[in-house]
Amino acid sequence: MSTTVMIVDDSLFMRKMLRDILEEEEYEIVAEASDGVEAVDKYKEFRPDLTTLDIVMPNKTGIEALQEIMAFDPAAKIVMCSAIGQESLTTAAHEAGAKAFILKPFNPELVARVLKEAAQG
Amino acid sequence: MDMSQYRNLFLSEAREYLKTINVTVVGLEESPSDRAAIDALFRGAHSLKGMAASMDYGDVVEVAHSMEDLMIRVREDGLAFEAGVADLLLEGADLIEGLLNDVEQELEARRSPGDFARRLAAYMPSQTQEQAQAQPAGELQASAQAQGPAQAQGSSQPQASSQAQGSSQVLGSSQAPGSSEAQAPSQAQSPAEQDKGKEPTGEASTVRVRTELLDHLINLTGELITNKHRLLNIGRDLGSAQLNEAVSETSKLLRALHDEVMKVRLMPFDAICDRFQRSVRALAKRNGKDLHFELQGREIGLDRGILEQLTDPLNHLLRNAVDHGMEPSAERIAAGKSAKGLVKLSVTRDRDRVHITVSDDGRGMDPQVMIAAAIRKKLISPEEAVVLSPRQALMLSCLPGFSTAKEVTDVSGRGVGMDAVNASIQKMGGSLSIDSEPGTGSRFTLMVPMTIAIIHALVVQCGKVKVAVPVTAVHRTVELRREQAETVGKRQLFQLDDESVPLISLNRILGLPLGRFPSGIVPLFVTEAKGRRVGLVVDRFLGQHELFVKPLGRPLSKVRGVAGGATLGDGEIVTILDIADLL
Repeated sequence: MSTTVMIVDDSLFMRKMLRDILEEEEYEIVAEASDGVEAVDKYKEFRPDLTTLDIVMPNKTGIEALQEIMAFDPAAKIVMCSAIGQESLTTAAHEAGAKAFILKPFNPELVARVLKEAAQG
Repeated sequence: MDMSQYRNLFLSEAREYLKTINVTVVGLEESPSDRAAIDALFRGAHSLKGMAASMDYGDVVEVAHSMEDLMIRVREDGLAFEAGVADLLLEGADLIEGLLNDVEQELEARRSPGDFARRLAAYMPSQTQEQAQAQPAGELQASAQAQGPAQAQGSSQPQASSQAQGSSQVLGSSQAPGSSEAQAPSQAQSPAEQDKGKEPTGEASTVRVRTELLDHLINLTGELITNKHRLLNIGRDLGSAQLNEAVSETSKLLRALHDEVMKVRLMPFDAICDRFQRSVRALAKRNGKDLHFELQGREIGLDRGILEQLTDPLNHLLRNAVDHGMEPSAERIAAGKSAKGLVKLSVTRDRDRVHITVSDDGRGMDPQVMIAAAIRKKLISPEEAVVLSPRQALMLSCLPGFSTAKEVTDVSGRGVGMDAVNASIQKMGGSLSIDSEPGTGSRFTLMVPMTIAIIHALVVQCGKVKVAVPVTAVHRTVELRREQAETVGKRQLFQLDDESVPLISLNRILGLPLGRFPSGIVPLFVTEAKGRRVGLVVDRFLGQHELFVKPLGRPLSKVRGVAGGATLGDGEIVTILDIADLL
């Protein structure tokens, strides 16, 4: 059975790109969410194997969503997406339980590798 | 990875972010400490940066990045959201809009962001700037001055050009038109599938459709309706009950199809709002007017073609309201009004028509001053002036020639471009009315159809020619007995509701031989010109038809008084007249 993934990003463009990269790697995208609140709700509903979580989002930031998801499911495997220049946030995300990071703009091979490691780890 | 497949998605989403930025900046000027709006601005710039980086559009990244950094200073370092910050952000949004246009047109050499990023990085709050300028010399002074006048010029010019481009860009983009209306059925989809087409801000189950597709849809529907009339004619000739029944059923289905297609074409008025906010803001600033701009009814849907045509007239009206209608604060206070003026743009729907009003609480217009000015300009005679109601007097501002007189504008406080406004509203089958109270303000109301392309028209015969007049321009039809027409001097008149209405031959206007009326009955329709009723005499009424209007290409589109063409059910082509333009 393929690994299920939820993609969280407020930009449709970013979600579409990530979806294409992941589908190419035969992940099954079970849900998408466009803000932090939706991310938490859909995590509970879909329980994906992996979640990619953008940091800068409306309603609830990625970090807040991460904390809530981890509180709900300490075994959640969450990969944070961040842009260059947000390094200060990575420490907070690590402390909150994020498995890994992918950087925007996405490099498809790197994304594939990081997600594979996160899924196994 | 082939990124070209993402280009259109990038463009449409980037434009949505720009729109959010524009609206939010203007909103923040009213309430500069609105935390949610500051966050939204930061996110908008941040998302633009990330998307552009993925597409490898370095210049967009540079501009968006510097805007993001400026917003970080507002968010985290206590920089006040003041006019200087707003100006720079709006300038940045314009720059990016220009860059996106270049990307869209696949220009190799895109415009350059120049020193924009540097100016943002060097931005100093206004108080610090004043201090810096007070210093005798040094680096600080140089950079502060470089921001001053250069920035003011730099921001007004690209803004104007991008607004001009914007009029086709916003509507011409593949932005989901009327995303709230154009919803695809969603019940059968899994939640994950629904999310696929999700708007960044909106509800699920919307799809993005190319705008050309919408134009094709309405064209095809129009052709089908024309063909239905042809089938009706054939059925009548053949006397076949079966055929007639089938055609009548098809007719019902076509009506339903037409309604649905029209709904898909509806876009919320909101789609053009941001540019009004921008232009009112810029105008008020330039003229040193202190005012609040209020927008109501953004959610009301209109056909995208109508929306496109509304931009210029509304800009004219808003410009007049700010430039001429609104008094300077000192004058307002002296008149016992609040120092801050109010300009309001509101949209409401009334069945299949939309009312758009531009109102202000400024100095208003005086009908007597308007009448005096029109007489002085020899646009009306003193005798004509006597019978004008106050409302008709205000409509004098729409006469060609009225508005060009500079002294008139200064005295009446209104009038610039009103003839153009009135003409374009009538062209789309709408009408304009003016209410005003000297000293308390003015209100301009545009009534426009919600949809276009398929109109109801009165088809008439003039000589050997059949022409169509949109029913919106026809107050009523009259069959006059010849002896009811009176001759006063050189003019012919007839009595309608106790008013003497002049009679004019449409044949004469069109340069055709005059009708003879052997039966003694003169057919005419009553319409309005220059705020007064006129009876237009034709040879014969041919009935009301549902017509699919096609725009005429050049050079026919330049012919005065012609609004378009259409095909009748029998295949004959008729010209659709623009009566206001003809008279």
